[in-house]
Amino acid sequence: MSRGSLTIEETILQFTSTDRYYLNPELEEIVNIAILMEKPLLLSGEAGTGKTQLAFEIARTLGLEMEIARCKSTFKGEELCYIYDTVLRLNDSRFGTGDTKRDINNIWDYLRFGPIGRAFRSEKRRVLLIDEIDKTDSDTQDNLLDVLEDNSFIIREINHCVQAEQKPIIIITSNAKRELSDPFLRRCFCHFIPFPQVDEISKIVKLHYPDIDDTLLQSSTEAFYKLRREGFEKPPATAELLDWLGALQKNERTGPENNGEVAFLGSLLKRTEDILRFKKQRR
Amino acid sequence: MFTDFFQLLRRCGIPISFQYIIEFFQAWEKGLVTNLDRLFLVTRLIFVKKVEHYDMFERAFAAYFLGQVDKLQIPEVDSFFLSKPFREWLDKEIEEGNFPPQALHEMPLEELLQKFWETMLEQQEEHHGGSRWVGTGGTSPWGHSGYAKGGIRVHGVGGNKSAIKVLGQNRYTNYKQDAKLGAENIRQALAMLKNMLPVGPHNELDIDETIHRTCKNGGEIDFIFKRELRDQLKVVLLMDNGGYSMMPYVRLIKLLFSKMRSQFKDLEFYYFHNCIYEGVYSDVQHRNFVPLRNIFQKDKDIRLFVVGDANMAPSELFSPYGAINYYVENAIPGIDWLQLIADTFPYAVWLNPIEKKYWYYQSSTLEAISQIFHMQDLTLDGLKNAITYLEEKVEK
Repeated sequence: MSRGSLTIEETILQFTSTDRYYLNPELEEIVNIAILMEKPLLLSGEAGTGKTQLAFEIARTLGLEMEIARCKSTFKGEELCYIYDTVLRLNDSRFGTGDTKRDINNIWDYLRFGPIGRAFRSEKRRVLLIDEIDKTDSDTQDNLLDVLEDNSFIIREINHCVQAEQKPIIIITSNAKRELSDPFLRRCFCHFIPFPQVDEISKIVKLHYPDIDDTLLQSSTEAFYKLRREGFEKPPATAELLDWLGALQKNERTGPENNGEVAFLGSLLKRTEDILRFKKQRR
Repeated sequence: MFTDFFQLLRRCGIPISFQYIIEFFQAWEKGLVTNLDRLFLVTRLIFVKKVEHYDMFERAFAAYFLGQVDKLQIPEVDSFFLSKPFREWLDKEIEEGNFPPQALHEMPLEELLQKFWETMLEQQEEHHGGSRWVGTGGTSPWGHSGYAKGGIRVHGVGGNKSAIKVLGQNRYTNYKQDAKLGAENIRQALAMLKNMLPVGPHNELDIDETIHRTCKNGGEIDFIFKRELRDQLKVVLLMDNGGYSMMPYVRLIKLLFSKMRSQFKDLEFYYFHNCIYEGVYSDVQHRNFVPLRNIFQKDKDIRLFVVGDANMAPSELFSPYGAINYYVENAIPGIDWLQLIADTFPYAVWLNPIEKKYWYYQSSTLEAISQIFHMQDLTLDGLKNAITYLEEKVEK
């Protein structure tokens, strides 16, 4: 594929499928565009489409260090940049610092940097993964906006601005548990990763099971996509398929059926209601 | 350059801002747009932020850059073929003998357009910041017959580029905003429901108060915590599970709301057939009768969702003793009961599985009920509107 005038970066960005990770060519281009445009890349899509894994692969392929921020619903955004440990300072002010060498009069001894803070302060460019941003509420996302836009944040207590030494490569993932705010979306490049097509999933399976039997692979992926189309509460995803294939192979099965029933159904469908519904349909 | 394309995106309902256009030209300056494939990815990354808009974007792109006008009826495409840059390019190609005129007749339009854009992108310097693609009339060099023969209606996709070739596969149709609720987009629907939930402040140390109390305490530390507010939202769903047409929707809606169960304080389902009279049923088979007065005893601030097609014989709604089940004794017509429900619970919406654009063709009962309840259709957009309506009402 022609990359035209991609210059120096091109030599660094040999970002392709690896022995562990199958990369869709479209996604590869998108990652490279986002890096060149210095925009955060927001990846959304179903669980099991390899969103988080992608960030790890970028860091690995480009040989960069990584900072990971796994979001929780209680986050306010600031703790990803820094934490001011008031409780410790209070404690020290009451009970003394002992031999910790902390200086109670020096606030820097009580500031701890979060993943964003560390990525900004690092002298080398880092990959910053903000995982499952949709768990946070919209206020948090808004708080993060300016930080990601300006590549800087302010430590409120001392009005000190932390400016990124090297703009990190920012990858944000979302499971679409909650809609993200429009201003947030506006500042990112957004890509929705569709669930892998049949030919892609075969490639993914082969990365994990290089010597899988082709007939087994074909018949089981067919059964798998059929199940997915039925709209279960928790539709089976890539991870389930891999587990299932593992189980089938260990038991030296040559097809997905077992006396007319799907073998090892429990590794594909996880919810009781789903399993019951599936069994009812079969009858 | 491409101004028409930006306009087209807007008209297709994709919200774009001036900032995006600037970003696009930044990408252009950086030389990121080297071929049609790249153009597709770069424009999509910059202009499209929501998966709901992917499908429309792909159609607009196919129509504008590949001439697949059957995907989208837009007049611009026709005038585009008559536009100056395109005609100049074509004349030049013919002059240079790249396309013998006969071959032109055979060539699918998409291929022609693709060649054109490739050339344009190659010489982007010349045309940079250049003219708009506004047609100025004139006769096309390959004539009208060739136009048709060349296959303006040819389906299938030209080119062999990875991103472009997916155009026309409609990969994202199910994620479209007006897509009906289904297994594929339940996630998006869920995301919209979550907007209903106000998230209160969480357990946290009240630092000011702690310091204040610590000082009063003579330096002995006294921690003060702020209390966390919990969601108190109660949701009641009344669902029409009468006809077969309703069955798939009942299942989907139950699935949708059940997924949210942990976030609601209370979630109850009730069922009815076509219209609501004295009561509803708490089970799918209509065995456990629950009088409406029991429902009326609930808090007035519940969020009430009625799911039904609102489509019935007019007598079922307007006449006394009109119920479809003869054993239901109802002296009061259904419409009065519905009015009573709407009056009792201010935060109520009616979700209709029939798409909005077809409402006009339905029974007069739909019209009458939509006067009583705020009605939306069971699409992603409809659900979003319903939630927004409820939220705005609460805020007032």
